[in-house]
Amino acid sequence: MTRPSSVLALLALLLPLVGCKARPVAAAPIRVAYLQNDLHHLPLWVAIEEGFFREEGLDVQVAGVFRSGAELVSAFHAGDLDVAYVGQAPVTVAVARGAADLKVLALVNAGGSAIVVRADSPIRSVGELRGRTIAIPGIGSVQDLLVRKALRAAGIDEASAKVIVLRVPEMESALRSAEIDAFIAWEPHPTRARSSGAGRTLLPSHRIWPGHPCCVLVAANRFLEGRRDAADGVIRAHRRAVAFIRKHPERAGAIAVRYTGFDPAVVREAMAEVTYEDQLSRADEEEVVRSLASIGYIEKVDPARFVDSLLITPRGGAPNR
Amino acid sequence: MYALPPVALLCLWQVAAFVAHARGYPTTSPFDVWEGVRSVATVGMPPGHLLPAHVAYSLGRVLLGFGAATLVGVPVGLACASSRAMHRIFQPFIDFLRPIPPLAWVPLAIGWFGIGLRAAAFIIFLGAVFPIAVSTCAGVAEVPTSYLDVARSMKARSHQLWSTVLLPAALPSILTGLRVALGVAWMTLVAAEFTDVREGYGLGYMLMAARDLHRTDVVLAGMALIGIVGWLLDLCLRWLGSLLTRA
Repeated sequence: MTRPSSVLALLALLLPLVGCKARPVAAAPIRVAYLQNDLHHLPLWVAIEEGFFREEGLDVQVAGVFRSGAELVSAFHAGDLDVAYVGQAPVTVAVARGAADLKVLALVNAGGSAIVVRADSPIRSVGELRGRTIAIPGIGSVQDLLVRKALRAAGIDEASAKVIVLRVPEMESALRSAEIDAFIAWEPHPTRARSSGAGRTLLPSHRIWPGHPCCVLVAANRFLEGRRDAADGVIRAHRRAVAFIRKHPERAGAIAVRYTGFDPAVVREAMAEVTYEDQLSRADEEEVVRSLASIGYIEKVDPARFVDSLLITPRGGAPNR
Repeated sequence: MYALPPVALLCLWQVAAFVAHARGYPTTSPFDVWEGVRSVATVGMPPGHLLPAHVAYSLGRVLLGFGAATLVGVPVGLACASSRAMHRIFQPFIDFLRPIPPLAWVPLAIGWFGIGLRAAAFIIFLGAVFPIAVSTCAGVAEVPTSYLDVARSMKARSHQLWSTVLLPAALPSILTGLRVALGVAWMTLVAAEFTDVREGYGLGYMLMAARDLHRTDVVLAGMALIGIVGWLLDLCLRWLGSLLTRA
């Protein structure tokens, strides 16, 4: 004798299995990360909000918002991320040290940082930073590289300026209370310090190194090996987002305000300091490698060969310059 | 004989690292850690920032914070134990503030004291002051009443009761509190240095710089050094304590 309730229960248990077989297996979402309140990462926010990833048939999910590039890159090592927007320098350090297995897919922006001093500071040139305290967002960050380049160009050896690490959101108040003499940070922080009356731009980063590469779009090699088509879709969406920002800065700015919570006027002004650009330059990438090695952050390597291993090989896309 | 377990553990670690490395896994062996120690002592982390200065800055911060905590914690503990009324006044404050982790005070500390020595010392102070106050109070409260009765029968005055009976009898408990507090202070310091350090030196700062550069050997070397310095601090305090209790 069969008991109807048991049969029904059995059927109910089997139902999800049947359902699973009937539906095509959906690809796992692409896990993306970016840095907190870093206006350089606007192309990601635009691609999400304007539906560029969706139109490529990609399910992109934000898996982490990090405070520093080094932290973000560590998450790749743990296998928690597929794709990320992050500084070129921390990526280079991590790959050179074997701490992460990544490829650079595209440039995100050039320039877009600045050395800021107090509004009433007597410091008028980088040369006057000798013996002063300068805050950077992290050891081995793009800004670390830039400030050392600027100091070197002004004839100041690194030992005679005090370069310290400070979290970016705290830089403005530390500058205001005279605990530091200068800071270098990504936009919109320099612009906000200026608009709040706390700071004055001493030197925008594009004058330290014209057209310097800053943030890049990277992917885990594991992800590229398994899902190269999806990665190409991410690159296409990224390129569309960069073009969108150039064409519709107002709409892109509104998205940036939503993601950062910063004042619209500050965001508008800060965006003018950032060059959104998706084309990588080999020469600039090699210069990043040489600079990091000269500071002693990575071992000496052949920059050309290293960059070869770091950049993705295009598949019908625009080749790297 | 007692050195055998740590040595065996190190050997096991070295072998495991060797095997994992041979199979293509990135690993850090005890020899790598030793190289990490040598690298912070000679090259520095970040480059140019050498180990002795990191240790000196960390010790300076912890001694300032711990010193302040002793100067406040012992009197508060004694006051707390001096009468029932005082106990009722102090205890709620201690009970309320003690469970708040010192690191939760970091944003306020930076707002009040900036990012320099005073903020770090304040955070360490908060970590250390409660164990000292609580164990001082408990130490005095636990002195057997018979001691006091004997002293009173010999017509001892109040200050004589404190100096000849209560304080000497509570000293072991106070010293235990100081040891616990120094351990907490050291742990709190290193965590506090993870956030903001104006001087650009400190063992916690060194560890974070190594993390930024993915130098796992230096991270592990930093952890080992933090453990060794903490252990030496405890040894010093125990030695001072034995001098005091013998006197």
